[in-house]
Amino acid sequence: MYPRLPNSPNCTVLYRQSIALFGILLPAVAAVALVGGVYMWKNSVTASFTEKQKHFKTFETNRVNALGIEARVNRKKQFMDQWKAQLAEETKSAVSANLRKIQESLPNKEFQSTAFDPINTPGGFGSVSAQRSAQIRLGFRGTYRTMQRAFLALETQMPQLQLQELKIDPSSNQSSLLNFDVTYTAWEN
Amino acid sequence: MASFHHPSELNPLQRYSQACAILRSTSRASNEAWYKEALDLDFQLHLRADGVEVLCSAYNRKTGQWTKGPALDDDTLRSTDKSISYAAEIIAFAQKNGATSVGVILHVADEFATTELKPEFNNPGALNDLRAAAETDPGSILDDSSIPQDQNTWRVLPYPAAGSEAIATTITLTRSYAPFMDQLRLAGENANYPIITQALSAPLVTLLAIPRTVQPTEGRSFMTVFQYAMFTVLAFFNEHGDLRLIRTLQHRGARRPSNLRHAASTTTAALEFVDPDIILFPLASQADPGLAADLRVVFPSSRVQEVDWSATVFSADGLPAHAPESMVVTLPPDSSEQTTSLSHTFSVFQSERWAIQNFLSTPKEVSEIYPTRGEMKILRAIRLIRIGIAACAVLALAWALFGIIDIIRKPEWTFDPTEAKAVQQRLGGLNSQNQKVEHWDNLLEDRSKAWASMELLSRLFPDRGGVMVKNFVHTVKPDVVPGQAKVGFVKEWKISGFAREEAVDRLNSISTREGVSSAFSEIARITGNPAFSTDSFPRSLISNVRMQENPGFKPRPADEVQDDDPLTYPIVFDLTITQRFEAADPLAVNVSKAP
Repeated sequence: MYPRLPNSPNCTVLYRQSIALFGILLPAVAAVALVGGVYMWKNSVTASFTEKQKHFKTFETNRVNALGIEARVNRKKQFMDQWKAQLAEETKSAVSANLRKIQESLPNKEFQSTAFDPINTPGGFGSVSAQRSAQIRLGFRGTYRTMQRAFLALETQMPQLQLQELKIDPSSNQSSLLNFDVTYTAWEN
Repeated sequence: MASFHHPSELNPLQRYSQACAILRSTSRASNEAWYKEALDLDFQLHLRADGVEVLCSAYNRKTGQWTKGPALDDDTLRSTDKSISYAAEIIAFAQKNGATSVGVILHVADEFATTELKPEFNNPGALNDLRAAAETDPGSILDDSSIPQDQNTWRVLPYPAAGSEAIATTITLTRSYAPFMDQLRLAGENANYPIITQALSAPLVTLLAIPRTVQPTEGRSFMTVFQYAMFTVLAFFNEHGDLRLIRTLQHRGARRPSNLRHAASTTTAALEFVDPDIILFPLASQADPGLAADLRVVFPSSRVQEVDWSATVFSADGLPAHAPESMVVTLPPDSSEQTTSLSHTFSVFQSERWAIQNFLSTPKEVSEIYPTRGEMKILRAIRLIRIGIAACAVLALAWALFGIIDIIRKPEWTFDPTEAKAVQQRLGGLNSQNQKVEHWDNLLEDRSKAWASMELLSRLFPDRGGVMVKNFVHTVKPDVVPGQAKVGFVKEWKISGFAREEAVDRLNSISTREGVSSAFSEIARITGNPAFSTDSFPRSLISNVRMQENPGFKPRPADEVQDDDPLTYPIVFDLTITQRFEAADPLAVNVSKAP
């Protein structure tokens, strides 16, 4: 077989540009455009989803928080209602009423009220808090344990009473009795 | 079969469509034969027309066997209608022989003419340009401008011998067989079966046989005489075996040219050949047997030799002895030193294919209709690439769709943002309520209770503990630090009284940090009052006891000692306990008002 010559007349390439353009370039561009479009579409959906996810996450967090807070608020509701009722009362009359009740349950000789002095200006904790408050100074004469029981009853019935000062001295007249001088800050609504 | 147009008539999109149509409707991408030359194909049909007879031989290159091909006559060669049916015969014949393509090589042995080049092209460096111009624009290089270009075809034949007057000549053939060859190609295209054609000048092919046929006298020029039926070709080689001149003599109805002896003698004389060897190549079925004797008369001192084809490598079973051209072009070139060193002429004729030029090559405007082999490969590859691209696109689409479906199926996707607002508002309301709860929780904390402080006193100094308390003062004062949301406070207990010796250890114990902390912890545990806790939060707790001798003490017998008589206690004491709550303490007081 004889060798082929390089300049064969069939060496023209009239189709190459068209093949490159329509066979490779345009399909590749179309594919890239399609893949790009799909990618952008997915990105768009993903971005939208991320946004929704963020809202959903916030919603879930808020919902769980709300449930927790609601449970806590519900647990406290009866106390709050009670507090509101108590705090709505005037401190002076509330203390007076409670002391009367307490007095009824205690021996008269061991529990005697010696002073009842409401002070209109705030003092103690009331002087540093913006919450409305009042002061009240009480004086008693009584035995130690009875007075402790009386204070326990009063402070349990009226948790808004914050002890500001307590003085205990022996009674000069009756050796078995003690003088109690107590000052409270009472929170008011 | 769809008709295709020349790509220059089409716009780029139409070109691409046509290329795809060619890819789909033809075997050009899968059958490489479309882009090979006839002599390169495995199955070849060699036709030889010498004006007296038309031979047809089939050659199977794989087996090297020659067989008789479909019969052909001169009428078929010159008739369009008959050539169409002959093409069908060729295809059937080739397919019968298991060939996927057929190369049809026409050896033109019934005409041979030379035309001289214009003298201005007598430049050896321009041979390749001349070769191309002979095909595309022969009029520009031919000395004789009277020959009609549309009826003839020319190919350049160089004279490689040094000292030749001309560098080359052109071999001229008429285009009388062009319609036949075109019909064969067209029939092949219509049948989607490659029929590749090639028209060779038989005398030029025979030139290639010289080195392997004869052995001229060393150092002597020689003349070859090709005795065809219709003409005789004289080729003159110098003492180095290089071609100096080729010329033809027409027989004009006789068995040999009438002026052969004269022409031979005058030409050798003109070329200054002295007693050249004369070699006769009988190439007609009935060559003139007296030619050798005639020439001996003119060249009495020359060696006159007649080639016996049957004794050469160019004879084969199934081929007539006087038609060796088919063997010459199919037999692989002999690479032995004896033949390749014969002369520059034959090595050039072989390597540069001067002797086997296609005189009736496919017109450029026809061959250009079809994409090239490289383009077809690209087109074929593009199908695979496009499948790959489509697969990638489908995968990308599927990936995106599955991703999106996965997203859409999640509850977050269908979530209504208005619900978030509602919960936000609800949370705001609850937070407000919670803040109130926390505010009042803070204010109502058990941070200072009278009963708890009294419990502390009774636990510090129990009955019959050797202590008589005279005074008890407990104060609670806020510890104001401006700018804080909460304020701490300071609780102070001041206890004074009398003590006996047995209470001194107790007082000393209370005055230590551990002692007072222990007492506070006990109160916190018993009363449940967090203000007395010393473990949970870092609270400063300081205790200080001052004891001194009771100036009024009067020692008495044990049976006269009374617990409520201060004069029976030898020691007076002052105890101060200070507890500090910082602003960070949970019991610190909210500064703000209830929300």
